[in-house]
Amino acid sequence: MTISGMTHEEAREALEALALDALDASEHAAVLAHVQGCAECRLELATLEADVAQLAYAVRPESMSDVQRVRVRGRLLARAAADRSSSSPVMPDTDVRRVPAMAKSSSRQSMWIALAASVVAAVSLASLFQVNRERETIAAAYASAAGDRTATRASLDSLRSAMADRDKLIANLTGPDVAVVTMASAGPQTPSARMFWDQSVNAWTFVAHNLPKPKAGRTYQLWLVTASQKISAGTFSPGANGEAVVRATYALAKDSLAAVAVTDEPEAGSAQPTTVPFIVGMKSAR
Amino acid sequence: MPPSGKAVHAGPDDTLLLQRMADGDEQALGTFYDRWQPLVHGVVLRILRQRDDVEDVVEEAFWQAWRQAGRYQTGRGSVQTWLLTIARSRALDRVRAVTRLREDPIVGENGELVVHLAADGDPSMNTEAAERRSIVIAALADLPAEQREALELGYFGGLSQTEIAERTGQPLGTIKTRMRLAMQKLKTRLQVLREEAS
Repeated sequence: MTISGMTHEEAREALEALALDALDASEHAAVLAHVQGCAECRLELATLEADVAQLAYAVRPESMSDVQRVRVRGRLLARAAADRSSSSPVMPDTDVRRVPAMAKSSSRQSMWIALAASVVAAVSLASLFQVNRERETIAAAYASAAGDRTATRASLDSLRSAMADRDKLIANLTGPDVAVVTMASAGPQTPSARMFWDQSVNAWTFVAHNLPKPKAGRTYQLWLVTASQKISAGTFSPGANGEAVVRATYALAKDSLAAVAVTDEPEAGSAQPTTVPFIVGMKSAR
Repeated sequence: MPPSGKAVHAGPDDTLLLQRMADGDEQALGTFYDRWQPLVHGVVLRILRQRDDVEDVVEEAFWQAWRQAGRYQTGRGSVQTWLLTIARSRALDRVRAVTRLREDPIVGENGELVVHLAADGDPSMNTEAAERRSIVIAALADLPAEQREALELGYFGGLSQTEIAERTGQPLGTIKTRMRLAMQKLKTRLQVLREEAS
């Protein structure tokens, strides 16, 4: 029997590697196509996958330092609380085993994709906390101003507008349709960044930390990378603390984003990237 | 050798915790994290090997568990195995990108393969996890070195068979054979764990 050009025997011999996610992309697809139509192979694959899952136990458990442990716990609970208030916690099932196939196969095809890390991430809490703090400050000022009969209509409108802007930013970071791309850096100073894509309103919010200042006459440029093009999402420079937030609006089909990248470009920006990206992340399958 | 038996925890069992997480109870996530972070951290650390973003990946693994808690199926293995699969996947996502940047060898600091670093049981593990660990380490130890190497490079290194062949200088067909034989032997040795899960 052949399914998708692969005989049962050929597919059967590759099931162990499939369970380990160790097949190259083309073979992976062919074996998977066979498995989907072959009950015997599906059963065998399930057994092998169960065995593969046990291999993690070979590693000795090792607790994080107290500082790390508490820090991660705090972030998780804060994210969970924010998540609970904004949406149902259940998201579409992700086939965690097969997600990296693209990164694996494409490493030699393009430096862009070779640099990409496929990471499903969620809200950048440091950024979200900062935004929330700012919102609370604005809200307090607004309440104070609203109660002050001498406050001018202009100042009230200004504060109301600022609050609305912060509310919109919070929604863009935490909404149920927000996809997040965590970006890794090849640079020596370990900059980090996350892109929040609120797919319901096509809003992109890029948050970066530890960015060095670009050299004189240079700037950073943010790119949305699809299979066929690299779309500029704007140029930016980090503040004195190395942090940067870039917001953009761009309609992109949900499945078309392959990666997000930052390059070093001439001050006026470039129509297409002219340097190798130094921060890059690839959107995970969801 | 730890005594046989199921998980021993102070507090609700994992399945109940997952149900509470699925219902939006973040305190359940806290309990779940406290219980399993040493195991998850161990796996992530072993795969990433002292990289700075271990903490980030541990967080993402538990975050994914929170988001997908409602989809866990009891018939498809234990909660901890499900969680470790998530942790491995998230860690490999990260290490694959970095490996392609640096082309680091997938070995420990002293040149040894990752599983060779595994030591005796850890008191922080529950009974079930400790027993699983003993069985898995014994199964791996029984494999011929070259088969174990292929398995470890695939599992902990996230390398494809082609990449393993390039890394080891062996023909691709040889790597395929080694990996298959290793998995077949593991299948026999780990049967007891599958039976427990079912």
